[in-house]
Amino acid sequence: MSAEMANEIKLISGRSHPQLSDKIAKRLGIEVARTISLNYSNQETSFTVGESVRDEDVFIVQSTATGDVNEGLMELLIMISACRTASARRITAVIPNFPYARQDKKDKSRAPISARLVANMLTTAGANHIVTVDLHASQIQGFFSVPVDNLYAEPSFLRYIRENFNAEDCVIVSPDAGGAKRATSIADHLNTAFALIHKERPRPNVVGRMVLVGNVEDKVAILVDDMADTCGTLVKAAAVLKENGAKSVLALVTHGILSGSAIETLNGSVLSALVVTNTVPLGDKVDRVSGCQCIQSSHVD
Amino acid sequence: MVRNIVVLGGNSHPALVESVCNILALPACNRILTKFSSGESRCEIQDSVRGKDVYIIQTGFGGNGSKLNDHFMDLCIMISACKTGSARRVTAVLPLFPYSRQPDLPYKKTGAPLFKAPSDNGKKDYTFDSVPATPAPGVPRSAGFVNGTDITNRLTKTTSLPNGTNGINGTNGINGTGAMSPVKQTNGDAFFGANGQSIASPVSGAIGSYTTHDYENVSHVGAFQAKPGYKQWVAQAGTLVANLLTCAGADHVITMDLHDPQVQGFFDVPVDNLYGRPLLKRYIQTHIPNYKDAVIISPDAGGAKRATAIADGMGIEFALIHKVTSLCITDRQNASMMLVGNVADRVCILIDDLLDTGNTITRAAKLLKKEGATKIYALLTHGVFSGDAISRIKASAIDKLVVTNSVPQNEHKALLGPKLDILDISPIFAEAIRRVHHGESISVLFNYD
Repeated sequence: MSAEMANEIKLISGRSHPQLSDKIAKRLGIEVARTISLNYSNQETSFTVGESVRDEDVFIVQSTATGDVNEGLMELLIMISACRTASARRITAVIPNFPYARQDKKDKSRAPISARLVANMLTTAGANHIVTVDLHASQIQGFFSVPVDNLYAEPSFLRYIRENFNAEDCVIVSPDAGGAKRATSIADHLNTAFALIHKERPRPNVVGRMVLVGNVEDKVAILVDDMADTCGTLVKAAAVLKENGAKSVLALVTHGILSGSAIETLNGSVLSALVVTNTVPLGDKVDRVSGCQCIQSSHVD
Repeated sequence: MVRNIVVLGGNSHPALVESVCNILALPACNRILTKFSSGESRCEIQDSVRGKDVYIIQTGFGGNGSKLNDHFMDLCIMISACKTGSARRVTAVLPLFPYSRQPDLPYKKTGAPLFKAPSDNGKKDYTFDSVPATPAPGVPRSAGFVNGTDITNRLTKTTSLPNGTNGINGTNGINGTGAMSPVKQTNGDAFFGANGQSIASPVSGAIGSYTTHDYENVSHVGAFQAKPGYKQWVAQAGTLVANLLTCAGADHVITMDLHDPQVQGFFDVPVDNLYGRPLLKRYIQTHIPNYKDAVIISPDAGGAKRATAIADGMGIEFALIHKVTSLCITDRQNASMMLVGNVADRVCILIDDLLDTGNTITRAAKLLKKEGATKIYALLTHGVFSGDAISRIKASAIDKLVVTNSVPQNEHKALLGPKLDILDISPIFAEAIRRVHHGESISVLFNYD
């Protein structure tokens, strides 16, 4: 037994999303490694390792809990660096929801490209490989000098739509131009119609005017996006779709960040359902959003 | 007025930024530094930094509702933003260097990790003899552990059963049956379970299973155990922090009284480690009557060098407290502390670099009082006052506590009143920034009295 167990997978879990780590571990038939992260009273993060990682293939699972992004990121960096100093053979950071993915360009003077900073930090700490799900912009992979596997939630979405709807009645809608590619890919797979909403964004976290391109009349409009943060976009898009005669509107979103007043916004909207994956710890948000459902995505390795 | 220089302040210590800017006679750089609602930092630098010499002041302190890791990430993002904004040189000014001191072992009496917010346990009354409530494996302390004790028992039972003998002879223990012990949960729908985001819900059922990663359940954290045969260890983040700063783009680092001067060697870029010592010396000379007859004390062996440097420079006697780990315990409270030197009927001046939970310094003060010290001063460079520090110091034998404003001290001052004196370090940092900017030597800052 012990001979086969050398160089096995070590799954290390951060504090942000233990439920996901447990599911992955169960799926792989292994145990989560005995480590623990705590904060000292002076708020510095401490990471205690309780089992050997020498020459092991280490996978560190750390998502980003809403509101505690920096805390989770520092913890991840400390975990990676600890495994590196403990002679792990290979360290893979599994980051289902890549932090700072939206700050990926210098869109105005002196704006930080934080996504690149995070990429550099992960490599500096000692990550050999990154696994993530539905990067906001797949170009972020180019910020890394190590391999990045960008997994897609698309298969889960396709399965969900096929199981719950008649593809003929649906129209896949992208709530912004940036997500058009993601949405068209789903539409192609399902052989359904596609529509797009064009939006203007005057300030961060605020959404301006919206224009629908395409026909949604008497159809089930399925909004597809990579993240639902404050949900301003989704809710406005849903309203636009309703105005244009959609029978019902639901949203399929990979990362359910649901920050700020998202829950209230959603509950007051015309969205009949919001479907998210469990890349981000949702806590009790699932119960609080009417019609909110959760697709499992613990297929990650 | 200094030209071509930009001083950019983080959110951790606005007062220090303001006072450094006042001394340098220039306005602080306009910036937006907040958070998006998702929790990601949002940073916009509104003044031009092209070709400028940028100094970013951010201290390694979390408190008053802000978080240390947030501040550190903010700092890295600001450095990176200035770099991409074509700044000529970016200098990180960290009066208190974060992660410079981390205990080697978890669950030690001092510096033990807290899994609760420090504000939760500020209501207890502290006596002269109080020791910190230290979370330790299998030591239930608070009401929150009512449910936890049986979890602890169950855990120790399941893990020790298959490894009863293997655990002792190392090699088997590591890769042995321990990995296969059936401690895992079977509850497949834990995701929808009653365990919400809040930490305060360990009582509300859903404890049919155990994982070491159920952080929401306080009792599970206390029950953490390493694999049998493996000696658990704590990651040291010092090198990482140094690497991250360089990776973000810092060209130069200015800090003060590093706990380990070796941290300087972790960097590939120049590091100026300023000393708070001159300030402390001046305080002794001006505020302590008959200081020549006092005794300088180092509360632990590690700080002996710092304390002797002051004692030698001023011609004052020196004594040292060291921690004994012998087995002959006679006096329960001070069993582990021993004084080397004589303090009877003398004024004592405790010197250290950092006050965190205040455990070391208050215990040292207690010992000194017992050995006959008349008055006890404690002079420290960095006063973090985390956890129960304030109440512990209030109840301690320390007559006067002196710290610098390397971290914000307003709240601590309000709580400790006249017991606390604060020394201003902004002139030192302003002078260091001015000299570094003009390429002058800063060695004079290391020497002056």
